[in-house]
Amino acid sequence: MVEKIIVENLNCYYNKNCILDSLNFSILKNEILNIIGPANSGKTTFLRTLNRMNDYNTYYSRNGNIYLDKLNIFNMSVEKLRRRIGMLFAMPIPLPMSIYENIVFAPKCLGLIFEKSKQDYIVECVLKAVFLWNEVKDRLNKSAMEISGGQQQRLCIARILAINPEIILFDEPCSGLDPISTAKVEETIIELKKKYTIVFVTNNVKQASRIGDRTAFFLMGKIIEINKTEEFFISPKQKKTADYISGRFG
Amino acid sequence: MKLNPKLTQKISYFILFLVTVFAIIPVIIIISVIVKNGLPAITLEFLTSFPKNGIRGGGIFPAIIGTFAIIICSIVIICPIGILAAIYLNEYAGNNLLTKIIKLAIINLANIPSVVYGLFGFSIFVVFLRLGVSIISGALTLSIMELPVIITTTQNALNSVPSSFREASLSLGVSHWQTIRYVVLPSAVPGILTGTILSIARISGETAPILFTAAVFYVPHLPHSIFDQVMILPYHLYITSTNVPYMPQKLVFGIALVLLIMVLTISSISIIIRIYFRKHKKW
Repeated sequence: MVEKIIVENLNCYYNKNCILDSLNFSILKNEILNIIGPANSGKTTFLRTLNRMNDYNTYYSRNGNIYLDKLNIFNMSVEKLRRRIGMLFAMPIPLPMSIYENIVFAPKCLGLIFEKSKQDYIVECVLKAVFLWNEVKDRLNKSAMEISGGQQQRLCIARILAINPEIILFDEPCSGLDPISTAKVEETIIELKKKYTIVFVTNNVKQASRIGDRTAFFLMGKIIEINKTEEFFISPKQKKTADYISGRFG
Repeated sequence: MKLNPKLTQKISYFILFLVTVFAIIPVIIIISVIVKNGLPAITLEFLTSFPKNGIRGGGIFPAIIGTFAIIICSIVIICPIGILAAIYLNEYAGNNLLTKIIKLAIINLANIPSVVYGLFGFSIFVVFLRLGVSIISGALTLSIMELPVIITTTQNALNSVPSSFREASLSLGVSHWQTIRYVVLPSAVPGILTGTILSIARISGETAPILFTAAVFYVPHLPHSIFDQVMILPYHLYITSTNVPYMPQKLVFGIALVLLIMVLTISSISIIIRIYFRKHKKW
């Protein structure tokens, strides 16, 4: 397997408190990597470091390197980096525009598509990819704020697909959703694996066992264990991992 | 002695209600006195003709035009500067010493008495820059006075846009400026508009800043350019009520009523805009 992302000696700090402590691992092409761990273990900080959303935070600092296809992401322009690494947040955040505009907004800003026919085509493609097309095809010009939370979250995934990134980061995307919406989002994510590399952060241990190819366990900013999901859950090598997944703490 | 909780509840409710009533009584009295005494003076001639008999008669047309000229001129100066400065401070400026100094300066600017602005405007614009007593000098003085208010209200409007919108847009690789232009500003426009219009209402009633910079007792013609001196309603009201002997009281109240209606109309527009946008708010 090809290594898509290589994390090398990454340390992150908020206000000088160490949040991520010398991480060294890699993410493979076209895999789903789960990241699980209790609150305050650095999962979200790691994701936000990957597409540099933390750069605006004045309390945040970091050292170490992350390579995307052998290029150091901290030397790239943030706009180019984020085009290649999309991110979905925990809460669905549709932009205050119509469903249609939500999808074509970023491609238009990035100068990827201009013709109306091409826009229509992309909207249909990405909505079908997240199984939302049939639910919203008659109200594409309605405000994205009016559809349900689960639909909004899938719209947000569609919005990311429209800029055609290589990697998609999911930050507990189902934490605010009901079980049926969760199942739909999970189905979407598994389907996406064919084309994209996925990093999936979740609080939900069972969800991790359903989805990922490999699973990493974060605790207090360190990686305790990273392994193939099946082995990870059936025969964890570390005692802390076993305790966490069996529910003894966390 | 222990009071019955139901009774104390009633007493405190009554006291709070009473205080609220006291707060709105002056407004009601002011409006009713001005309307009662001023309404008889309001005729088409009063609104559309020049003053007569050493301004003891006739109309206030040039003062109305002068007021509008000053307001429009101030808007042209103040809106771009105030709004752009607020966008910079809120969206771009880092949390450094320079930003802190600028913010401190804005707060202090807002606390300077308006008559000081008047004197400042006189010495800088009228005398030093040789703009003379003119619309432009008055508008510049008013703009400097109102700038901190516009900046603060615009910043509040920008702050009320959820930061998650900015993050969602940025996370798609959209640039910082595009995010501000297409996501933040459209959501902040209602707040910016309301704040701006309220400031305009305030400007149109100010007397002290234009006292030495723009207003004159009487001009026999309408202003030809922004470098002309003008008659202005608040100043006209001030001189007619204090400096003109045997001034008919009816006319003084008439001027006050016109000024009041102007200010209230401008404020109402901002309220209507706020209600309209609240109904059509998408988030």
